[in-house]
Amino acid sequence: MKDRKSKFLKLVTFLSERMPIQKLSFESMVTKKEVPVHRMSWAYYMGGLTLLFFLIQLGTGVFLLFYYQPTVSDAHASVEYITYFVNSGFLIRNLHTWSSSCMILCLLAHMITTFAMKAFARPREITWLSGTMLLILTFAFGFTGYLLPWHQIAVNATKVVLQSIEEAGHYLPGILSTLPSYIKEIIQGEASVGQATLSRFYALHVVILPLLFLATLGSHVLSVQLHGMSQGVDTPSKKAERFFPFFILKDFWLWGVAFLIVFILALCLPFESFYAYPLFEAYDALGSTPEGIKPEWYFYFLYYPLEILPFWMVMLGMTLSGIGLFLTPWIFKNTSRKALSIIALMITAYLIIITLFGQNIYDMFKGTTP
Amino acid sequence: MKIIISLFFLTVVFSTTVFAHPEFQRYSKSVSGRSVNCAMCHTHSDGPEGIKPDQIGSLSQEGLNALGLARQAYKPGWGGKSPILNEFGNLILNDLGKEKILMLKQKPELLAEALSKTSDLDDDGITDAQEYKDGTHPLNSMDGNPWKLFKNNLIKNRFHILMIILATGTGLFGLYNTILWLSIKTGKE
Repeated sequence: MKDRKSKFLKLVTFLSERMPIQKLSFESMVTKKEVPVHRMSWAYYMGGLTLLFFLIQLGTGVFLLFYYQPTVSDAHASVEYITYFVNSGFLIRNLHTWSSSCMILCLLAHMITTFAMKAFARPREITWLSGTMLLILTFAFGFTGYLLPWHQIAVNATKVVLQSIEEAGHYLPGILSTLPSYIKEIIQGEASVGQATLSRFYALHVVILPLLFLATLGSHVLSVQLHGMSQGVDTPSKKAERFFPFFILKDFWLWGVAFLIVFILALCLPFESFYAYPLFEAYDALGSTPEGIKPEWYFYFLYYPLEILPFWMVMLGMTLSGIGLFLTPWIFKNTSRKALSIIALMITAYLIIITLFGQNIYDMFKGTTP
Repeated sequence: MKIIISLFFLTVVFSTTVFAHPEFQRYSKSVSGRSVNCAMCHTHSDGPEGIKPDQIGSLSQEGLNALGLARQAYKPGWGGKSPILNEFGNLILNDLGKEKILMLKQKPELLAEALSKTSDLDDDGITDAQEYKDGTHPLNSMDGNPWKLFKNNLIKNRFHILMIILATGTGLFGLYNTILWLSIKTGKE
């Protein structure tokens, strides 16, 4: 009994240190809050930018909902209708697409800089965990949203991903080997990617994921506000600026500039122009599959290794990385910021190289001409 | 009588070679490095043959008649519309005529030179001839060489861009002053 009580007390102490609700006041969270000023100060703006792009996603997503039809017969036509016939429809759709990419870019930058600055260290473990959850939810947004236009690349890429999930079963022991197949069936909803899949992805993309995201985001922002900004560097900076109004003012100016850039991109550069047009034709189950079926750029870090290396190797690497991501605050508890910065640089280099030159690396390995 | 006319057109249609011209598709793909399919000139992305909508096997009698006439458009300026070709395909047929198209099959790189230098069917600022070379769709204003599209749209939308810069700037100015005012207020309290 005594042992159980002490365990409970330990848990309460752990949680109260991670969520110090005694600091839940306007004064502590806003007027008295300070932001350290040092060479990595720019990284403090990454989270805010991610939030801005999420808000753009939310706003434009609601407008798209007015016209989008989640049925296999009408989905592609409704997207075409939005693009070519609805007033400013192409702008809203492009804003949605561009801001989704910008959101993922900023989120990755936020995560990597947080890691390099050791901002996950005690007592910010819950902030890190909620951030990791937000990263996973954002990727889930990307994956589910990709299928909704129901064009060639959308359906075929989804099929490839679902196939990969099923394939993972071959490398699992005993009863576990049926699990991926079961997961695939749940996601797919029927024998092949079809109406049931589209309905599920639609429900996930517009209802379930946004609700989960908002709840997780709430807990993330609250814990950031309760703890304040982490020092971020080994020698605590002597200079600091007030969060309110100075940091917030700079944050809003940056939001303005970022919004303008995304707006101009959405207005002048259709996201689809980076891909070949046959990929955006309506999906035809009986028609020929066009070349160049690929997931979105933010999945290249997983897609190209899967194309080049043995499946089990990539799966093992990704599983370990996933576990490592969640356990970062405990695994790197005693690692210096310098070592963390080197790891962060290596991760950044990998992501940039595989995203920009993945196709060239693939051609080099497979001996094919681009 | 109707049966005789139909039989006549069917004979004309099927006695003429009905294949698409993959030489042009192959050329466009090789110079642009982009994936290109039959939808660049045809109404169906798998080409003219087959029984899917807008393919020869699915055409009505009226469509077959129009196709028969299109097959005989050897000289430029025919003025009709082939049901298996899209607007760009019909433009090529009308501007060049079938005779020249068959000749250009041997040298598909000359097609862009032979086409109108000003025609831009999708009004995206990139000429149809250039889109043929870029491997992008001449009828899709969202498809084009990204850099060229960006430059053209930037010029086309300059007024809107100026307006959004002004609107964002004004909004930020208002927000800036509101936050400063709030900060002074909370500081005093």
